[in-house]
Amino acid sequence: MKDLIFNDALCQVGVQVRGESETPTPQELLAEMDRNGVQNALIRHINLPLNGALLSNDCLATFLKNDDSGRLRGVWCLLPDCCNELPPIQTFLDSMKENKIAALTLSPFNHRWIPNRIVIGRTMDAIAERNIPVLMDAFDNKWDAIYAFVEQFPKNKLLLTCSHKHGFDRFLRPLMDTYPNLYFIVSGCRVPEGVNDLVNLYGAKRILYGSDFPHYNHGNMMLPIKQSGLSQEDIQDIAGRNLENLLKGGQL
Amino acid sequence: MNVWEQPGTIAHSLWNTGKPNCPVYDMHGHMGSYGTIFFQRAEADQMVAHLRRTGVTKLVFSHHHVLHEPTVGNDIAFKACQQFPDELRMYVGINPHFPDNTKRDLAHFDAWQPYAVGIKFLADYHGVPVDSPKYAYALDFANERKLPVLCHTWGGSHNNGADNMLNIAQKYTNVTFFAGHCVFGDWAGAERLVKEAPGNVYLELTAVPGDFALVERLVAAVGSERILFGTDLPWFDEYHAMAGVVTANITEQDKKNILCDNVERILGKNW
Repeated sequence: MKDLIFNDALCQVGVQVRGESETPTPQELLAEMDRNGVQNALIRHINLPLNGALLSNDCLATFLKNDDSGRLRGVWCLLPDCCNELPPIQTFLDSMKENKIAALTLSPFNHRWIPNRIVIGRTMDAIAERNIPVLMDAFDNKWDAIYAFVEQFPKNKLLLTCSHKHGFDRFLRPLMDTYPNLYFIVSGCRVPEGVNDLVNLYGAKRILYGSDFPHYNHGNMMLPIKQSGLSQEDIQDIAGRNLENLLKGGQL
Repeated sequence: MNVWEQPGTIAHSLWNTGKPNCPVYDMHGHMGSYGTIFFQRAEADQMVAHLRRTGVTKLVFSHHHVLHEPTVGNDIAFKACQQFPDELRMYVGINPHFPDNTKRDLAHFDAWQPYAVGIKFLADYHGVPVDSPKYAYALDFANERKLPVLCHTWGGSHNNGADNMLNIAQKYTNVTFFAGHCVFGDWAGAERLVKEAPGNVYLELTAVPGDFALVERLVAAVGSERILFGTDLPWFDEYHAMAGVVTANITEQDKKNILCDNVERILGKNW
């Protein structure tokens, strides 16, 4: 394991309102990561869809303050600036580093805004200038909205996730074909040898390991990557190096 | 030491050699194209290549085209098994809307030996409850011959929910029922089904491995002796599904029960 580092690009923490999932402290998450051999994780707050950006961003910052492992970095949620809910975008981005936040995300359909340039153009452009990655959770499988969004923001580094269990290549492949700044986190990639197929088509640099813990186990996607038959370079890129490089590239 | 690093375990073997150190029987597979999903590997030779690469010993499958296109008969599955006699075994797929097809194909059951090992129902898709008389011919056939019947099951379904399954398990006591997908979502129903049936129901794991702590929950509820491994191949990757079992917080013997020992108790070692 020591020559192959897994960094989880899709991990969620916190306690859900109905108690379905509980990762209240970094120690619980780190123990589960250690049990599976995961080195680092990029974490979001699990109550983000319901609680919104303001509360979940605060909760995540508090969670990370209790972590002294250096293995966890956070993802804050964006909102459009029309209602002045978050600080001005440059102030917001400037505050990320001190809060151990390394990437951003958005949840437009849960938070009831339209994901297009009219609504969030200034914000996304500022993020693109600073090269900060943005996680997109397939917009609740509204693929037409994803297509429209990606088309409007080709300069942003977008990390697409789709944790639906069934294959989605007919949705995904045209996007990967068209937009070189689009990356894919493989948490839901369950079709046989699906990681290999994506790498053969688009190269290993745009494919990232992610678990979608605690919906899914950390270990499930590790084995298909480890035993993919791809080159060791490709396997190392997918397992952890691509995420590390993307986060290093962000100007925080 | 993490779960992959513990010497002698199935996880260690998979991680280091790419193959499990015990037989693995995938008891829920399909074959052939399907409308809503692109499958890169849905034909017999492609699926067997995946089985060989991942070290899965045998796959028991029902053909998509038999289940979803009434003009296609189960001989298509038999021919695939003949091509790959070491790796493939078949369920005879039943569509209750076409009783003549059922009688025609079950009449071939003996001729399809040793490949045909049981029967497959897909009640939610066919819209007929498994406890409907429309399945009686096939269930009587399985009961007389003490065959396994794999049923697609799902929580909340009125076609193949826990209650439907319990009805047929209690009536056809010689049949060994495999509850595909473990009555997904109705975990209490799955537990009740196993415990109230007369010892003839196993939960089959397709779509479960990978969901956090779910394998653990099912093992705690019914015991690993009542759980079988399955993937829906070509829907799901064998490595992905095996990883879901071997990284679960259960004993090594639990993992072995699920992946191979239970099947060998049901079907023997040479089937």
